[in-house]
Amino acid sequence: MLAIDAAGVSKVYKGAHQAALSEVSLKVEAGRIFTLLGRNGAGKTTFVRMCATQLMPTAGSINVLGYDVVRQAKQIRDLISIVPQEGRPLRALTSWDHIYNWLQIRGEGKQTARDKTEEILRKLELYEARNRPAMNLSGGMKQKILVAMAMATDAQLLFLDEPTIGLDPVSRRQVWSAINDWKAKGGSILLTTHYMDEAEMLSDYIVIIDKGKVITQGTIQELRRVIPQNIRVDIARDGLDIDALEPYGSVVDTGAGMLRVFTFESAVRELSELALGRNLAFTVSPVTLDDVFVYLVGGGIGDNQNGRD
Amino acid sequence: MAETNMLPVRQAFLIAYMTGVLWLRRNPMSLVFTAISPFSLLFVLFVISGGKYTDFAVAGSLVMALVGYGLALGQDISFYKTEYKIQDVFVASPVSPLTYMMGLALSELLFGLPALIALASLVMLFGGSVSSIPLLVATILLIWGSMSAMGFFLSSHMLHMRNATQVISFVNVILTILPPVFYPITFMPMELWPLAYAMPTTHASLMLQYIMGMDTLPEGWSLGFGFAVQVAYLIGFVALARTKAIWRES
Repeated sequence: MLAIDAAGVSKVYKGAHQAALSEVSLKVEAGRIFTLLGRNGAGKTTFVRMCATQLMPTAGSINVLGYDVVRQAKQIRDLISIVPQEGRPLRALTSWDHIYNWLQIRGEGKQTARDKTEEILRKLELYEARNRPAMNLSGGMKQKILVAMAMATDAQLLFLDEPTIGLDPVSRRQVWSAINDWKAKGGSILLTTHYMDEAEMLSDYIVIIDKGKVITQGTIQELRRVIPQNIRVDIARDGLDIDALEPYGSVVDTGAGMLRVFTFESAVRELSELALGRNLAFTVSPVTLDDVFVYLVGGGIGDNQNGRD
Repeated sequence: MAETNMLPVRQAFLIAYMTGVLWLRRNPMSLVFTAISPFSLLFVLFVISGGKYTDFAVAGSLVMALVGYGLALGQDISFYKTEYKIQDVFVASPVSPLTYMMGLALSELLFGLPALIALASLVMLFGGSVSSIPLLVATILLIWGSMSAMGFFLSSHMLHMRNATQVISFVNVILTILPPVFYPITFMPMELWPLAYAMPTTHASLMLQYIMGMDTLPEGWSLGFGFAVQVAYLIGFVALARTKAIWRES
């Protein structure tokens, strides 16, 4: 079953000269974590808001859990839950107030709401602070309240628009754990994020959007193959000339005193010897999603070497 | 799935509880601040007229307070929409726009309750009778309901908090200061009476004057007329809020 089936979706905001989204077609399978990646203004939030029945599409069709977003928004709203981008909890209310009352507004009985509230607060380590008004909580804890409100519900599809923004590494992992638990229960998730490690950690399928268009999509393994080489070697620049590395693959100046070479396993030994011979620090790792993302939408790699495919 | 065909009334009360009761429990001074403002013009008119127009001032202040609480809903909605983004959470949920509006309107009413009780008591003190209490309550609910719907409609079209505040202040002046709400309609040139009668607040004030037994009611105006205009405005504004307020953005 498809959680989201979008076909030829476009969005042009009133007064805008350019489309925020143009002819986007996507299929999100139920029970999976589907991630939208893109730069600021790429159109990720626009897509999420249209799927979550907050924004009308200009053209195309979107079915969410089998219902049309334009004609059957009411049916969809019973089945979804969202974390809006840059949302904030109400300052005078505690985390308990938010979640417990929200669950009742969504139709839960008092006892169920109480149990679910306690469960999600414990999972996200908000329980100890459950009686503190949001205005007295850190930015990360405030963000976790919104995540908890969405994840405490029994919606079938979650829309998480940059849910871990502003969270410390430990809190991010708590949210990741909650997201994985949600998926394990059969739920579907449409996630947007700027954090590549988050996308790599959580996603079953990734779509990269740039300037309102889908530029590539696939599993992480499939996306890694977008860059012809599969290994990256970072070498301290320290007097090293780019020309000396170019025979080994594509070279990028990372701007942090390091040169990055995208290459194959076969060249790693030679590069290591080159670095060791000059007493330069170096690291070897597989190509990451971050590399792919910059390769496709950042222009960073393409600016310095062979160019994108 | 949870039971989602619950009564919207329960949802509205829960929204009012979250945004009103829980807020006031932690910020009780809000009640005092909200309660004082409706008495400002009452005080000024009382002092300037040496008590002569106090009854008008009581009627006007009650109408002004109700208009203020109704329209303040628009400011709250703008705030929740543009600053907190919490309205996004409600839009993508089983809560309907009218339920959301009702919940926040009840919350506003809660903030104004001390002032409303005080002003309603003054109406009774200035000539209201026990038998007129249902009419007093109906007058209060009609103007509060229509103004809340208008506040919801206006705020839904505002993209910025500042715009909402400005527009709502402007509408407040148009509805409560210019028409004969604080002064007798007979002070106006007769040519302007039709314009005054087009304002729901004129009728609310006249209905309060009727309840207080004042002999300032103009010829040609009747309780039925006032009631009909108020009901028409309520229906009209609720219909406007329901059909033309922006819930899902286009």
